Amino acid sequence: MRRPAPAAASALRRRLPGLAWLPIAAVALLAPVGCGRLATGPAPKQVIYWTGWSAEEFNTQQRLVDEFNREHPGIQVQMLSQFGNSGYQKVRIAFAGGATPDVMSTIWADELAGYAMRGVLEPLDGYLKRSGRNLERDFTPGVARMLRVRGKVYGLCATTNTSFIAYNKSIFREAGLDPYHPPTTIAELDAAARACTVSDRRGSFVRYGFRPGGLALWAYVFGGQWVDPATGHITADHPGNLAALRWLASYAKRYDLKKMQVFQSTFGSDQTANGPFFVGKVAMWSTGEWAEQFVRRYAPDLEWGWFPLPAPPGGRTACSSAGGSVFVIPAACKDKEAAWTFLDWFTRPKPVARFCSGIGNVPPVVEAGADPVFQQSALFRFAVNLSRSSNTFGPPGTPIWPTYAREIGRVEEKVMLGGGDPVALLADLQRRMTREQLDAMQDLSG
Amino acid sequence: MSRRRWLAALDALLSHGVLIAIGLLFFLPFYWLVATALKPDAQVFAMPPVWVPHPPQWRNFPRALTYVPFGLYTINTLRICALNVLGTVLACSLVAYSLAKVRWKGREWVFWSMLATMILPGQVTMVPTFTIFRSLHWIGTILPLVVPPFFGNAFSIFLLRQFFMTIPDELSDAARIDGCSDLGIYTRLILPLSKPALATVGLFAFIGSWNDFLGPLLYLNDERSYTLSIGLQRFVSQHGAEWSMLSAASAVMTVPIIIIFFLAQRTFIQGITLTGIKG
Amino acid sequence: MKERSSHLLTSSPPHLHPYRRRASRNAQLTGLAFAAPWIVGFIVFFAYPVIASAYYSLCSFDAIRPPRFIGFENYRRMFTEDDLFWKSLWNTLYMVVAGLPVGLAASLGIALLLNRKVKGMTVYRTIYYLPSITPVVATSILWLWLLNPEMGLINIALGKMHLMQPGWLTDPAWAKAALILMGLWGAGGGMVIYLAALQDVPESLTEAAALDGAGKLQQFRHVTLPMLSPVILFNLIMGLIGSFQYFTQAYVMTSGGPQDSTMFYALHLFNRAFLDFRMGYASAMAWVLFLVTLVCALLVFKTSARWVYYAGEGR
Repeated sequence: MRRPAPAAASALRRRLPGLAWLPIAAVALLAPVGCGRLATGPAPKQVIYWTGWSAEEFNTQQRLVDEFNREHPGIQVQMLSQFGNSGYQKVRIAFAGGATPDVMSTIWADELAGYAMRGVLEPLDGYLKRSGRNLERDFTPGVARMLRVRGKVYGLCATTNTSFIAYNKSIFREAGLDPYHPPTTIAELDAAARACTVSDRRGSFVRYGFRPGGLALWAYVFGGQWVDPATGHITADHPGNLAALRWLASYAKRYDLKKMQVFQSTFGSDQTANGPFFVGKVAMWSTGEWAEQFVRRYAPDLEWGWFPLPAPPGGRTACSSAGGSVFVIPAACKDKEAAWTFLDWFTRPKPVARFCSGIGNVPPVVEAGADPVFQQSALFRFAVNLSRSSNTFGPPGTPIWPTYAREIGRVEEKVMLGGGDPVALLADLQRRMTREQLDAMQDLSG
Repeated sequence: MSRRRWLAALDALLSHGVLIAIGLLFFLPFYWLVATALKPDAQVFAMPPVWVPHPPQWRNFPRALTYVPFGLYTINTLRICALNVLGTVLACSLVAYSLAKVRWKGREWVFWSMLATMILPGQVTMVPTFTIFRSLHWIGTILPLVVPPFFGNAFSIFLLRQFFMTIPDELSDAARIDGCSDLGIYTRLILPLSKPALATVGLFAFIGSWNDFLGPLLYLNDERSYTLSIGLQRFVSQHGAEWSMLSAASAVMTVPIIIIFFLAQRTFIQGITLTGIKG
Repeated sequence: MKERSSHLLTSSPPHLHPYRRRASRNAQLTGLAFAAPWIVGFIVFFAYPVIASAYYSLCSFDAIRPPRFIGFENYRRMFTEDDLFWKSLWNTLYMVVAGLPVGLAASLGIALLLNRKVKGMTVYRTIYYLPSITPVVATSILWLWLLNPEMGLINIALGKMHLMQPGWLTDPAWAKAALILMGLWGAGGGMVIYLAALQDVPESLTEAAALDGAGKLQQFRHVTLPMLSPVILFNLIMGLIGSFQYFTQAYVMTSGGPQDSTMFYALHLFNRAFLDFRMGYASAMAWVLFLVTLVCALLVFKTSARWVYYAGEGR
């Protein structure tokens, strides 16, 4: 059936002079297709590395990769990027289709346990030992806990995040609060939030103090947990989780959240020049260390400070979250030694310090945190300290965490906006996630 | 008579009025895109919005176009597009001819098999499809993006079938009397009569592959073979995006589509005299 | 050729019949030959994925480890335990029933407007087509502002007219309507197809109708509309399939919220397939959607015999 094609093509060309693109297309057809890699002689071993970073973050990383390549003439790391938000879909399908690269950082910490338990990642314990490294010694506690799945190490981090609250000192002053003594307890936080909230005569918000969000993290503050670390069982209905959810709901009761949402829709998203915190429409903002570069860029004159998440009596103080991109070596990697050489180099204190300071993240490597670049900024001194807190929580080691985290978000939304019953919703979540985990485990053992 | 001319003028005036009024609404998104491309950071998300960037940041365009290898990506994308258009127009017109103009057993099956491929959500066939291309050793090449069009796609075949069905059978019967084969009828009768439809199908094939993100994302593994839609992702970082540059690159990316659309819709005017019904 | 054809249109001379009969002997081969690209392509690129996904729908399958057969368990759970399945199906049906007709009418209306003989029409057509090619991600900021409940252009206009000002994307009751409204800007895609088809409506026919005393509206109803009916059918079927798989805008702008009001079937399916490692379940969802869409498409085709007019339909 290919036979009539050329005839038809010429007929089309003859008869449709208006469609000028056809000759161009015909020429393109003759051009070589495919795009094999450049031929390299007896040259260095190629390590294909898929990175999870882009834009300036990509360029920062490229400089480090170039340096590695210079230092290691026997290995050539080729970095591939630009996956954007859909990157994980490419990664998922690459794993499914068995077409993974040698090293990748296109995996979120959320997904690590899921991939690790499915056996598609190389355990790194042996490599760490031979290179004289120790996960618990080298990395901050929260990150080390997050990287271990069922006792084995499946990935390493070059960056991590912290969670805290940033506040606007001018607004604090205006509201009669002490700008040098930010809240340390939940009660103080609630009081400060109330003091900073201003409404107009019609009851619409002009500014609000604080809108708490993120049940997944606040649950830890209230002493809760999502998975029992000892047994691996789902603990969605933990009393601490319920306390956190009830506290969040108290905000929904005190303020008309629908109005708050309408108010929120009038300003740009957080990390833009018109983010509510930058323009003074919100007094306190749940954020992380990366806020600094945005303040510098969008609101350089802002007088601001920060404080760790306040805790209720009996709760956990200095709670923070760990997460972000994780470096892994897929089990299908052909030259794991070369891949490890790169991974080992990149997660050493020096490159980590340079990478993190370049992109405005906190280093997960303890020694890197001591680097002078982080000591220059008051915020980073605070954030590096916070990242070392033992109350730092990364994704718990369950293969269903991406699902679980999304469902926690839905429960939170139902309570905050829909007025749902916290007890019933958490009980339902417990039932569904137990089921989901059971299913996943059955798949894994099969 | 002058009253009639006066009415015609009024009619034209009204037409332009309506066209411009609605046209302004339709022009808004594109204007916004270009305006965003020219805005300084602080104006991108301003509420209420900034309509005219001040001062316009013209350098956003050269910055965006040199941030990624724009020229190389354009050539890569154009090549994929050209092959898609060629394959789609050829294969789909052939198959549509079979479905519209030839009476044979099984054509209903072909028709419904075609619709079925569209009705089944692509998300669940993605992994097995990837497996096929992997066993063909096509991962990392543009072949998964340019070979399938030469086997036709449901959308275009169906569209051409609908157009071919409106061409009176008497025309092809007459050609048969003249000793014309089906291939002859197809090339000398059906194709010339279907210029607007073919242009439409070509246009959609071009736009489809020009904007395709998921295909190149899944199958290309080399920066040198990347397409523009993937290149745009370079402006989006983990914590935000370079909105102005992203918009500048996106605006430049729409230019070829506008040109192609302009070319394609020129055939919309010629169609009338060719239908063969009015001599 | 033109003259002969216009003669043939009016009457079908009896001496044609032998040719028709002879042609039918070869028709089988000819038809198969012309359809060969599709048939080969279908076997090579589609048959395996279609069969595989049907099998996966009967399995617990994470797309990485081998599938584990569990019979109709995925289907049972979907119907009896998954509240989001019903919610997302409802949301999707809303888009089909409310959004599709609005979209079809809009693109037809614009095509008619752009088919008039007015100077500078090529420019108008290009402008009306622009929103269909402007990337969703790049313009999402514009939409968020246009639809902003407090300071958006749309609500300001509604306020001026003393009409109700909905919360649009922040209000679960209005979020889908907001997406439908946004969709109107994409009417250009369907418009192109109508425009192409309108070139096949011979002026002689409308002129003849006008001579018979038909008004503009009657000309449209009795001449233009029947001549357009084949592509109306096309746009309807494609719109039907597209609405049932409505995804991109919800994925980019709302991620299913607020309160699941824009959690569409395809978005739920996508989450199950690519976030939750439940490809088997997603496949089962896909096949349910397949059946629902297929039944609707069949119904449309059943009725189409009554309202679609093909000049060249071989009977």
